Amino acid sequence: MTTTRRHILAAPALLPVLAALGAREAAAQASPVRGGTLIYLEQQTYTNLYPPAGGFYPNGGVLNQITDKLTYQNPQTLEIEPWIAESWTVNADATEYVFRLRPGVTFSDGTPLDAEAVARNFDTYGLGNRELRHPVSEVITNYQRSEVIDPLTVRFLFHRPSPGFLQGTSVIGSGLVSPRTLALPFDQLGDATKIIGSGPFVVARQVLGRELVLNARRDYAWGPKNHPHQGRALLDSIRIIVSGEDSVRIGALLAGQAHVIRQIQAYDEERVRSRGFQIFAPSTRGVNNSIVFRPDNPLVADIRVRQALRFATNTQEIVDTLFSPNYPRATSIIASTAQGYVNLADRLIYDPRRAVELLEEAGWTLGPRGVRQKDGQELVLTAYESLPQPRNKETLQLVAQQWARIGVRLNVLAGDSGSRVVDNLDPAKTPVSPAMVGRADPDVIRSQYHPLTRNALLQTGGVSQRVRSFHDARLNDLLDAIASEPNREKRLALVGDVQRYILDQAYVIPIFEEPQVFAAAPRVRGLGFEAVGRPSFYGTWLAAR
Amino acid sequence: MRRYLLQRLGQALLVLLAAYTVAFVLLQALPGDAVLIKFLGSEMGLTADQIAELRIAYGADAPVWEQYLHTLGRFLAGEFGYSIRAGVPVASLLAENIRPTLVLAGLALAAASLLAVALAVLSQLGFGWVRAVVRSMPPFFVAVPVFWLGIMLIQVFSFQLGLISVIAPEPWEELVLPVLTLAVPISAPLAQLLIRNLDAILNEPFVAVARAKGATHAWVLWRHAARNALPPTLTMAGVLFGELLGGAVVTETVFGLGGLGGLTQQAVANQDVAVLQAIVVLSAAAFVAISLAMDLLLPLIDPRLATRPAGAA
Amino acid sequence: MSGANATAGFAPPRTLVLPPVGLLLAWTVIALVLSWAVVPGLFAWHDPLQGVAGEQLLPPSLEHPLGTDGLGRDMLARVVYGARESLLGALLAVGVGLTLGTALGLLAGARGGIADAAVMRLVDTLLAIPSLLLSLSVIILLGFGSINAAIAVGFVSVAHFARLSRAEVLRVRRTEYVEAAFGSGGRFLAVLWRHVLPNALTSVLALAALQFGSAILALSTLGFLGYGAPPPTPEWGLLIAEGRDFLATAWWLSCAPGVVVLLVVLSAERISRSLGARRT
Repeated sequence: MTTTRRHILAAPALLPVLAALGAREAAAQASPVRGGTLIYLEQQTYTNLYPPAGGFYPNGGVLNQITDKLTYQNPQTLEIEPWIAESWTVNADATEYVFRLRPGVTFSDGTPLDAEAVARNFDTYGLGNRELRHPVSEVITNYQRSEVIDPLTVRFLFHRPSPGFLQGTSVIGSGLVSPRTLALPFDQLGDATKIIGSGPFVVARQVLGRELVLNARRDYAWGPKNHPHQGRALLDSIRIIVSGEDSVRIGALLAGQAHVIRQIQAYDEERVRSRGFQIFAPSTRGVNNSIVFRPDNPLVADIRVRQALRFATNTQEIVDTLFSPNYPRATSIIASTAQGYVNLADRLIYDPRRAVELLEEAGWTLGPRGVRQKDGQELVLTAYESLPQPRNKETLQLVAQQWARIGVRLNVLAGDSGSRVVDNLDPAKTPVSPAMVGRADPDVIRSQYHPLTRNALLQTGGVSQRVRSFHDARLNDLLDAIASEPNREKRLALVGDVQRYILDQAYVIPIFEEPQVFAAAPRVRGLGFEAVGRPSFYGTWLAAR
Repeated sequence: MRRYLLQRLGQALLVLLAAYTVAFVLLQALPGDAVLIKFLGSEMGLTADQIAELRIAYGADAPVWEQYLHTLGRFLAGEFGYSIRAGVPVASLLAENIRPTLVLAGLALAAASLLAVALAVLSQLGFGWVRAVVRSMPPFFVAVPVFWLGIMLIQVFSFQLGLISVIAPEPWEELVLPVLTLAVPISAPLAQLLIRNLDAILNEPFVAVARAKGATHAWVLWRHAARNALPPTLTMAGVLFGELLGGAVVTETVFGLGGLGGLTQQAVANQDVAVLQAIVVLSAAAFVAISLAMDLLLPLIDPRLATRPAGAA
Repeated sequence: MSGANATAGFAPPRTLVLPPVGLLLAWTVIALVLSWAVVPGLFAWHDPLQGVAGEQLLPPSLEHPLGTDGLGRDMLARVVYGARESLLGALLAVGVGLTLGTALGLLAGARGGIADAAVMRLVDTLLAIPSLLLSLSVIILLGFGSINAAIAVGFVSVAHFARLSRAEVLRVRRTEYVEAAFGSGGRFLAVLWRHVLPNALTSVLALAALQFGSAILALSTLGFLGYGAPPPTPEWGLLIAEGRDFLATAWWLSCAPGVVVLLVVLSAERISRSLGARRT
């Protein structure tokens, strides 16, 4: 039963894959054409291109074209495959990794991409550089040091087991850059021309905040080993142009002024598709788009209140009203395409009657204004909308409408970044908050919930000074175990335990599995996406009109 | 005259320092700061210790007066620092954004005054209903939101008719729609002013004289409208610079153009203080220079103004 | 813009250009919008804040004359209920600029000397800081909300009101009857209140009327930049800004509030013109 259900639920997620397959079939009929300039419209400009900052989508869209990674995570199977590293070995407790590099790879400034350079990259990403203000990468944990064994062999040593490291070498945040780039202070890495990678494209010129032109590297011959395309990129160049208005991006695409655009809202998908254009919606495979509770706030400290609000949230209604089949309803705290996913849909049912019972049980009774109260305090919660998440303002408003039906008020704030950051650290001000993060490794759950990392639940011991007492040692132990369990089976089992635990504690209301939605002109072929939905133009080409 | 100039120069410097200080105080009062926003935002997922370390490295927790003197000193030395958000020197950010703003603002101002003169002349010609329509144009222009106008112009001229490309345009077509978008709201107050002036001038005796000498009605109007347009346009240019910056942010966003408006908006949102201080100093300097020039130039262009109190805008 | 004020005394045959029908219409529009603000329930039969899931983005129909928005809320209700917020916001914005600005201008113009110099440098400083930066920081400082956005919009116009009113005060002070009033031993404040202020105020009020319309638009620009009132407040400017993403799929969402704003601004302008004509 669970499996069928899972398949039904996963079916919409397959649609974009099918569309992509369709494109690939068409591609098979006509042989790829080399040359041409592709125009890609971004919603926002890139910021700092220090590779670990590649989580920001506009940054990832640039870095994915100009840098290579040690390993390649196959976006279909999520298996780790050879790229710059031809082969690797990991010791039994995942504290020692040895990578054997492909010979003959160079950065675009001519310096060789050898063991020395790889070691330098990961020393920076794993340890940071205080002097140059390079921060540590989120995806690398327990890093100790590197050893260059010979020019093409490098060993990495860890304090404690770091089973997520292998996948960590495949993400955008671990893009390899020239030692010359790493010698620059962090404050200069927003200049794309200074980011020297070994990737299929090279930065040709930039107009800050407006446009970036990438040219294909003619001598590129080291694409991922199992990638369908090999050799240099098919396109001659890519123009990445910033166009912030949704209507302008879509209009430009449909009018033939652009080839690929990022960020299509659900209500525009039909219009784009009906004109024969392609929609791609790769999943971000991480923690679902959710509402998290901050149990440090007394209003949501009682598990019954949190459960009640979860029962009162009609996620199906949200998905139906605001989104499309590309945004599957959440069935766990992580996406169904994520590793270690367990279908927990039976714990995520909509039952407003049960919600009311729980609130009554917890002592919250309906007040005169239609808002529940207890000891003179009203059940009024506040959340900031999250700008990068699709239609988050509408989502929260819809949630507010649903909660209002059981007598709970949710105020949705639209704040400036400063207030949002400061208030989001204070459980008293933001008892609930929207949250999501994408990464195709079980480590992503730890990233999201552990107090030492993103600390979504706001536990003590994290960045926030405002948390008084909330701390869940059992949760943190589970999360730590995921990050350091070398056995794959055991690790995935732990991921299941965490999903169940977080839902049992009702810390989170998962809403939908967040995709990144792109649209492309009919003549665009071979558009690829890495495991969490950043575009890859390596095998892309433009068919004749 | 020299004393007056020196006095004005002193005032200008005072205004510059005051603008810098007011902006500094304002920015300090905002909740959070650039380092928090940059590194605590979900972009990088850093730990508490790493953030604390970065805060020290950036001097984000230094006493306010120390930061004030530090940045002021840097400015006097001609150093603008780095943008924490963008990760590039502030100087290069400014360099890339000043030119498009100046070109856009300059062309828009020119187009606006042309439009205003045309409206003013039309308002005196033609039939009853034409005049009525023309006279209701300025308030109509003011009542249309700039972003809406911009999006509509793009939809119609670029996407529907395919006349002009807004993405990767040729140099000549790049500015057509943005200039039009920006010119429409600016032309409204100018046109209103001109229409009123023309209404008044047409009652004056020299018009009758000109006509008696054989000048056509249209010619008289055009000449006087054009001549009368100059002083208020110039006066407005001085005051409008700051406003153009604000008006331009919308145009820049809609058309995806670079410029100081968008830069300001981004910098405010991310509290990129180094960038903002540079923008404030820059625009204050421009404002001061323009108003100084206006005070000195306007009496030369329009002798009537020589008798008016300086500073009246 | 003192050139305009100098010639404002001439009364061109404007009333002939626009027939009184226009004025009548203008008053009708204002009256209608005011009654929306006072008793919105009489004009809209849906809840402006609670939408019906599944009825999102419906085209105009008998049930929803202006269609529904992305959350299934009736657009007519949102426009009607938005009147209160929008008119209050615009009034407040003009009020802030008018009172603060006129007070400063009056002080500078009437006192002269050091007070004048100080006030005018302050005004210069306000003008020298980009107004975008000023208004966004004021909103961030005060917190997001329609009232605070209105204050920010008003704050930015303080400098313009101050400059204009100072120039007007200087002009009026030089007129013979004010000199005479001072000469006949009138107390400074009394003369200021009785003679200077009323005469200087005419053109300041004309600016205020003009500012009313632009305040609504400024609020909508702030909404466009993401600094508008928090959801689910219906506010015209915000409705236009939010509806722009649907221009291709549901154009009425931004056009309906846009047309309302257009009519209100045109009407306000028409009425202020007729009032001005009567005054002179």
